[in-house]
Amino acid sequence: MSKETILKEAIEAVKKCKEEEAVDVMNRAIAEGLDPVEVLSEGFSVGIREVGDLFSRGQVFLPELMLAAEVMKSVSAIVDEEMQKSGKDADKKGVMVLATVEGDVHDIGKGIVASIIKTQGIDVIDLGRDVPADTIVAKAEELGADIIGSSALLTTTMGEQKKIEEILEAKGLKGKMKTIVGGAPVTERFAKRIGADAYAEDAAEGVEKVLALLA
Amino acid sequence: MKKYMTRMGDGYRVELSEEEIWEDIKAGMEDAVSRGGVPELSGEEQQKLFDIITMPGTVVGVEFGKEVVMTSDSGAGKVGHLAGIQIDRIIGAQIHERVCANDSVDLGHIDYTYKAVKAVMHDEAADMQHTVNNTVMPILYGAMTNLGQYTKPDGPCDNWAELLPQGKIKEALAAQEEAVEHAVKDIVYIGDGMYECGADGMNFDTCGASGDADFLAALKAVSILREKHPDMGVEMGMAGEFVLGMHGGLTFDGKRLAGMYPHEQVKVCEAAGATIFGAVVNTNTNESLPWNLARVCTFLKACTDAATIPVHANVGMGVCAIPMTDFPAIDAVSRIDKALVEVAKVDGF
Repeated sequence: MSKETILKEAIEAVKKCKEEEAVDVMNRAIAEGLDPVEVLSEGFSVGIREVGDLFSRGQVFLPELMLAAEVMKSVSAIVDEEMQKSGKDADKKGVMVLATVEGDVHDIGKGIVASIIKTQGIDVIDLGRDVPADTIVAKAEELGADIIGSSALLTTTMGEQKKIEEILEAKGLKGKMKTIVGGAPVTERFAKRIGADAYAEDAAEGVEKVLALLA
Repeated sequence: MKKYMTRMGDGYRVELSEEEIWEDIKAGMEDAVSRGGVPELSGEEQQKLFDIITMPGTVVGVEFGKEVVMTSDSGAGKVGHLAGIQIDRIIGAQIHERVCANDSVDLGHIDYTYKAVKAVMHDEAADMQHTVNNTVMPILYGAMTNLGQYTKPDGPCDNWAELLPQGKIKEALAAQEEAVEHAVKDIVYIGDGMYECGADGMNFDTCGASGDADFLAALKAVSILREKHPDMGVEMGMAGEFVLGMHGGLTFDGKRLAGMYPHEQVKVCEAAGATIFGAVVNTNTNESLPWNLARVCTFLKACTDAATIPVHANVGMGVCAIPMTDFPAIDAVSRIDKALVEVAKVDGF
């Protein structure tokens, strides 16, 4: 079976939330000598990003999105196992700390972002909602995070994202720890103005931007 | 090349050429068409939009004879709570009627949730009675379904937002279904009480804020209340342009609620017995006013075409093209309002 066919099957398995099918595709790919990391990133990961996009358009719903994330977990576990067998390190691309900022309790979107980014081989530590900027930075330091992601749904709380940048600056961590911001009132212009490293409009874009920051 | 001053979705001032405005109008319209499966605006409607956006003058207004009614959600509390002026809600309602010239207002508790109001219903009812006795315009009682308040630790149901990421899908769906029943009971209790003490109707604000189950609870409650009180006015205002599928499988009147856009939402609201539909389309802060406005008008034209009840656009900050900024600029707001009336054919705000 060609690599292209396997990748197509991988994408479809995630989109249809078929866990058994996805596991079977990954096992067959390994049996045929394909690189499991490549199958994960060019097949399954493409599928979950498409699911994320359909979710943002109201064409796929949260339970399906979560099921798709479960499918990703199962195939990622196979990849981890294979990497260990071959003596290579598990392919963790980085560590990300994510939170909804202080004063803001809106976390449905942030939870979705966390679920999807986790499927991309990134360790995501979700600190929850209403989290003070200094707690976010302290936790990121403690965990040796590569990226801090913050979400604000209100015009009155987006200023907290600026606070994160200021704390990083004061601690000499600016540039060492990358930042990405999101939330309905947040824009690319705002992100630039406060000195964030990236801005994402939705979960699907968030994945792309996070991967780019880690590259 | 001549440039026109307009706004971005976050209120940022920007100058666009005629060509850029047209590109954004087309792109915004196409986005609505592709997402909602609704028809494009006609060439004439697109031209009208362009004309409104590029009109000289800071403030523009609707043509004579096209004036529409205005209501204010949680309006009775706005002067007090938002402006910080120490007045009670009854005076707040009177100010809206006699100073702001609103056509109706809703009286709401600061918590603005049916579940929270349950414990203070009698105090709320007393204020409602005084308000209707001191005003002429219709007074609605307003609150949000806010289904999340029925989850632990605040309520009796398991938290589906925690269950879903754990892969406990069946449990998450069951918890939402259970919460719907609790919410319906509370809403009907409040609705009965307010109607008995003279409220002209109920404003179901931000329906679907917690997803399709939240919307279902509102629809079911409206249906029961309208059956019990056929003369009760009911406004159902939405939380977003499409119903978020937190459950995904819930239906009303035989139609799946998740993923519904305004032209579909209005039909289930009508079936439930709503007398006014409050339409919402989200403002994209990264796009321009022409893009957002064309998108909103495309969605809402389809909605008003489909509706048999009045459609009131929610023109609060961050929705229906109103820039998402604390104080939306009047140049943007007045252009949006004019376009919503003259192009999207809304009946009120």
